[in-house]
Amino acid sequence: MDNKLLDINQIKLKQPLTSQQEVFQQIASIAVAQGIASDHNEVVEGLIKREQESTTGFQDGFAIPHAQVDAIKRPAIVIVSSKEGVEWNALDGKPASFFIALLVPKQEAGTTHIQTLASISRMLIYEEKREALTDAEDANNVMEEFAGALV
Amino acid sequence: MANIKIVAATGCPTGIAHTFMAEEALKKAAKKLGVEIKVETHGQVGVENELSKKDIAEADGVIMAADKDVYAYRFHGKPTVEVSVAKGIHEAEKLIQTIIDGKATVYKAKKSSSSDEDESASNNSGNTMIHSIYKHLMNGVSHMLPFVVGGGVLIALSFLFGIHSADPEHESYNPIAATLMDVGGLGFQMMVPILAAFIAESIAKRPGMVVGFIGGLIASNGGAGFLGGIVAGFLGGFVIVLLGKLLEKMPKSLNGLKSIFLYPLIGILLVGVIMTLLVEPMTAINEGMMSFLSNFQNANPILLGVIVGAMSAFDMGGPVNKAAYVTGTALLGEGNYYFMAGVSAACITPPLITAFATVFFKKYFNQAERNSGGVNFILGSTHITEGAIPFAAKNPIVVIPILMIGSSISAILTYMMGIEVPAPHGGFLVLPVVTGAIQWVVAILIGSLVGAFIYGFYKKRAFLKAEKEKGGEKDGQQIA
Repeated sequence: MDNKLLDINQIKLKQPLTSQQEVFQQIASIAVAQGIASDHNEVVEGLIKREQESTTGFQDGFAIPHAQVDAIKRPAIVIVSSKEGVEWNALDGKPASFFIALLVPKQEAGTTHIQTLASISRMLIYEEKREALTDAEDANNVMEEFAGALV
Repeated sequence: MANIKIVAATGCPTGIAHTFMAEEALKKAAKKLGVEIKVETHGQVGVENELSKKDIAEADGVIMAADKDVYAYRFHGKPTVEVSVAKGIHEAEKLIQTIIDGKATVYKAKKSSSSDEDESASNNSGNTMIHSIYKHLMNGVSHMLPFVVGGGVLIALSFLFGIHSADPEHESYNPIAATLMDVGGLGFQMMVPILAAFIAESIAKRPGMVVGFIGGLIASNGGAGFLGGIVAGFLGGFVIVLLGKLLEKMPKSLNGLKSIFLYPLIGILLVGVIMTLLVEPMTAINEGMMSFLSNFQNANPILLGVIVGAMSAFDMGGPVNKAAYVTGTALLGEGNYYFMAGVSAACITPPLITAFATVFFKKYFNQAERNSGGVNFILGSTHITEGAIPFAAKNPIVVIPILMIGSSISAILTYMMGIEVPAPHGGFLVLPVVTGAIQWVVAILIGSLVGAFIYGFYKKRAFLKAEKEKGGEKDGQQIA
């Protein structure tokens, strides 16, 4: 089984997305297309459910939606950015445009993946990282930024 | 104000992202403000970077940035800032500044209402100590239980082929029965080692488990029984904690060596030697206790029934219950089938009390209670005392004595009628091998019904009282 959490095909930048629903649909489509998840709707529902508990919006346009459902077959990161800001109830009140989705299978036995996902979250605390991601021109730039955390 | 030390605990319901973002934000802010910080994370993988008692005691302040319980009672008496995990991420600097400025309020654990500050503080530390001992013990018991149930029921099934069917020398020998007996017996023998292993695991994680397991095996093989298992568990845990302290100064690069080589090697050696020395006196105590209990059997069946009933219902599957239970199983090994009959009866009764009460006093229970009451018919009939816990937990001071009365009645009647139960578990599943099966069921039913009526009337009184206090106002939830 492929051990990679992030692949260049799991990154889609500057998409024409305008609502939270569209963002979730996009994430789920990528997940299904890349063989990360088996069921589109279940992933969307998982993301919505988590969002209802409390917002995953961070700051400066970043959000980290996540889901842990049966349909997800392997842990993975899906990255989507939108051309325009999407309302996300973020803590700083700003709309979000850069979405780093963390997808985790229901039965995740190994803790290493979780720790990697956690280290992605940790990265976002640093302003320079956030700026670098916002400025990324294409998926390759994004891959480079995450390279450090994905060893 | 040099060298300010802060401890923090972060946690969120999913435990994948925010817990760790808050951790990082707090560390970053602490670095900027020049204070020392240790952050404990309650994430998906469990608690990491756990705060020790010493950490908390030495800290100048506590930050709780969590949307779930992070065992807040530990921080009683410390200047504490309690916020959501989101605030921990976004206002980390502000939170730390609050503690530096000494503006944090002193945290009070919710339960202590005593006005005497000193007394409540000392009480509280006593409580947490007892609580943590209980927590370690129950970690062992809960891991042990599946072995007991699985093994015990298999053994019980083998008896269905005839009481001596597993004995190749006996004329009723049956190879299937012998296999059931062997396999079940293996599970059952693991009882004490697993108990010890997971008491130690609760104290000192995986290295503790290894050492506790060995200690438990020594106790089990030496005949020190349940008591020996408990001692081995705590001993194993504390030996590893102690080793951790002694090896603290070793360079970090040797951490791998420590956990894979030094802890098991030194730990097993120490525990092995100590347990070998201890096992003899403990076996004597264990046997003394057993003969003490079994002596009552002939001398005074009523008193024995009261003791066994009270022990079995006292904590419903906890250590006191298991002490009675293990004595029963040990005596089975010696061919004493009387003792176990009373223990089984007393263990079956508490869930049945709650089950009957929800049937006869339906309207005084809510829907959730009625549902679990129904399930308790099954749990009770299969000797799973734990089924009564949710009911007892709501009002232990009243409910536990009621359960103890019911269990005692069942046990007394069982002893008076001289019923024999040769199987260590299984509840009513093993009825075909019980000598005096009908009387046994009657004894249990009498105890259960008496308990159910006392419990029911108590519920009724509590219900009417609540009704009265509310005046004419109807409480939809309780009636529904």
